Amino acid sequence: MGVLREEESCLLLDEKLLYFMDQLELLEEKRKTLNSLIEQGWFSISKARYSMGNKQVSALQFANEMEPLVSVHVRTLENDVVEFCAERLSPKCNDKFVKEPTPIEDIGPQEEGIRRRKTTKSDPAEKKTSEDKSSEKCPEVNPGRKRDHNPQQDPLKWFGILVPQSLKQAQSSFKQVIELSAEIAALQIVVLNARQELKRDLRNNDGSTGPEANTSAGLNEKEAVVPSANESS
Amino acid sequence: MAGRGKLIAVIGDEDTVTGFLLGGIGELNKNRKPNFLVVEKDTSITEIEETFKSFLARSDIAIILINQFIAEMIRHAIDAHMQSIPAVLEIPSKEHPYDASKDSILRRAKGMFSAEDFR
Repeated sequence: MGVLREEESCLLLDEKLLYFMDQLELLEEKRKTLNSLIEQGWFSISKARYSMGNKQVSALQFANEMEPLVSVHVRTLENDVVEFCAERLSPKCNDKFVKEPTPIEDIGPQEEGIRRRKTTKSDPAEKKTSEDKSSEKCPEVNPGRKRDHNPQQDPLKWFGILVPQSLKQAQSSFKQVIELSAEIAALQIVVLNARQELKRDLRNNDGSTGPEANTSAGLNEKEAVVPSANESS
Repeated sequence: MAGRGKLIAVIGDEDTVTGFLLGGIGELNKNRKPNFLVVEKDTSITEIEETFKSFLARSDIAIILINQFIAEMIRHAIDAHMQSIPAVLEIPSKEHPYDASKDSILRRAKGMFSAEDFR
């Protein structure tokens, strides 16, 4: 019966070791993907810097206020397994800053037709209403400026309105990196937990088989160890 | 508060931090300290270590991303961190490719095997 138990414990140890190795291999694969995506992102940033200028893509362009668009939800499950889930929020247009959509600015004569050089004399009341309309247009420009300080805007806008495609590619690469980071963080914890469990089981296994005398052929190596331990005591 | 997620912090060179901020992880406002640190040539090791420890102390950070060459500077602080959260991920930098033998997590995972385990 003792031999059967030992065989079972050995099989269990083997299973745990294989699980640990599998998780380690998966971790290494995800790491490779992460590293290559990061390198891709750097390359795209360098291309964007080349086209926009050195200082146009740097820490100087970071906004004064920013809110995260990615949040990580952490859940601790059974057996000390921790789950990381990266959730992406869409950049919002903050209602405080923008009340009305800014109209497209019309450049040019307001009236169609030939421009009149000689303005006809109109009533002062009409002039006042037209002046009021023009003054109403001015405050509409200000919300556009305030919108630039929206902390939850797309970070691409820090670098200008028209950004090169390479900067968008860099953003896309790093978005994938962020999602992978959450997976790798969870895998790291799984690997470390598996390692601790394996080490604990190995110690328990050594402790339980040490004082017992084993007669099976498969445990001859341990038999050689046991008499020496008894002789020393 | 229960539904609000945690942040990802990053300690790295300018390109790394720029990339991750482009990805949308950055937080910066007047009330709280930023969740990122751009390490330049003149950034002291003390500042890096203090920032790393401040990220560890914050309850709203789930993952800390750090360039491996910067992690080497504060290896003792990273090795001392044994908790699952926040998780520390070492990432390569432009001038220093990723080296698995230096990664704290992988060293802990692979270091379990010794000659006695195979007897």
